[in-house]
Amino acid sequence: MAEEAVKKIVDETEATPSSRRSSSRSSRRSTARKPKKDQTLQGLILLVLVIAFGIYLATISATIGIFWLTGIAFGFILRRTNFCFTASMRDPIMTGSTSLTRAVLIALAITSIGFVAVQYGASIKGLPVPGMGFVVPVSFATVAGAFLFGIGMVLAGGCASGTLMRIGEGFGMQMLSIVFFVIGSFWAARDMGWWTLNFISNGPRLHLPEIFGWTGAITVQLVFIAVLYILADRWENRNQEL
Amino acid sequence: MAEFELDCLGEACPIPLVKTEKKMQELDVGDTLIVMIDHSCALKNVPEWARKNNYDVEVEEVGESEWEIFIDKTA
Repeated sequence: MAEEAVKKIVDETEATPSSRRSSSRSSRRSTARKPKKDQTLQGLILLVLVIAFGIYLATISATIGIFWLTGIAFGFILRRTNFCFTASMRDPIMTGSTSLTRAVLIALAITSIGFVAVQYGASIKGLPVPGMGFVVPVSFATVAGAFLFGIGMVLAGGCASGTLMRIGEGFGMQMLSIVFFVIGSFWAARDMGWWTLNFISNGPRLHLPEIFGWTGAITVQLVFIAVLYILADRWENRNQEL
Repeated sequence: MAEFELDCLGEACPIPLVKTEKKMQELDVGDTLIVMIDHSCALKNVPEWARKNNYDVEVEEVGESEWEIFIDKTA
């Protein structure tokens, strides 16, 4: 595993094929290669603009400024790590690879700890627990919606964050995806009242700390994630033996 | 020691991987396949799939958000 990771880094960072591959095997394309554009200057200008715009936004509202920074950071990380929520759900079935699945599980574990810290911190001070507005009813609608979203994101080549990131990358097809993503979202928003009234609001609201207590909730959550991680790891290795 | 090219430019993930899998079956041992991609997702799963099959893989960024993956069919 570690070897593979090192090999990957070496492959991606080391020199061009002309120096790495022996001359007898140098490919037609690598000899007639157009020189890579140097975009360092553009990058620096963009960085300055990003910071300047961030400062401007912060004068309007600190929250919008934080959204700007976290959004940019999130996009950068998605882009540089090839992190993809779609692939994390799709690749175990399509290719047997669970590396992104495990990455998502680790991210969820870290987020869980952070959420518990924030919510517990508020609750011991007697403040209202933040984020409770997002504790929504769980019902069959959740399962059905997740299934439909899964089909859609594989066809579209990305979920919301992945699609946005690849538009930034300049991938044309996904500009089409985002158009229909927006149309679909508007449509859903239009009918949401009806769905909420007839299906969604019938489900129970689950907030684990109210059921298991704060320590119990984070333990249950982390154990559950750990079990999924182990299963994902086994799934990958099982496929390797075949 | 023939060299083949597979143009997957503009193809969203996972199409490049599916095409690569099919193409690799047609190749003889010792041949090299160059997969051209511009979807960063394929940058991850195509090399991963190839390494899992014990092929030699090299990745090179040839342009802005454009990569070539060299896969040697070693076995």
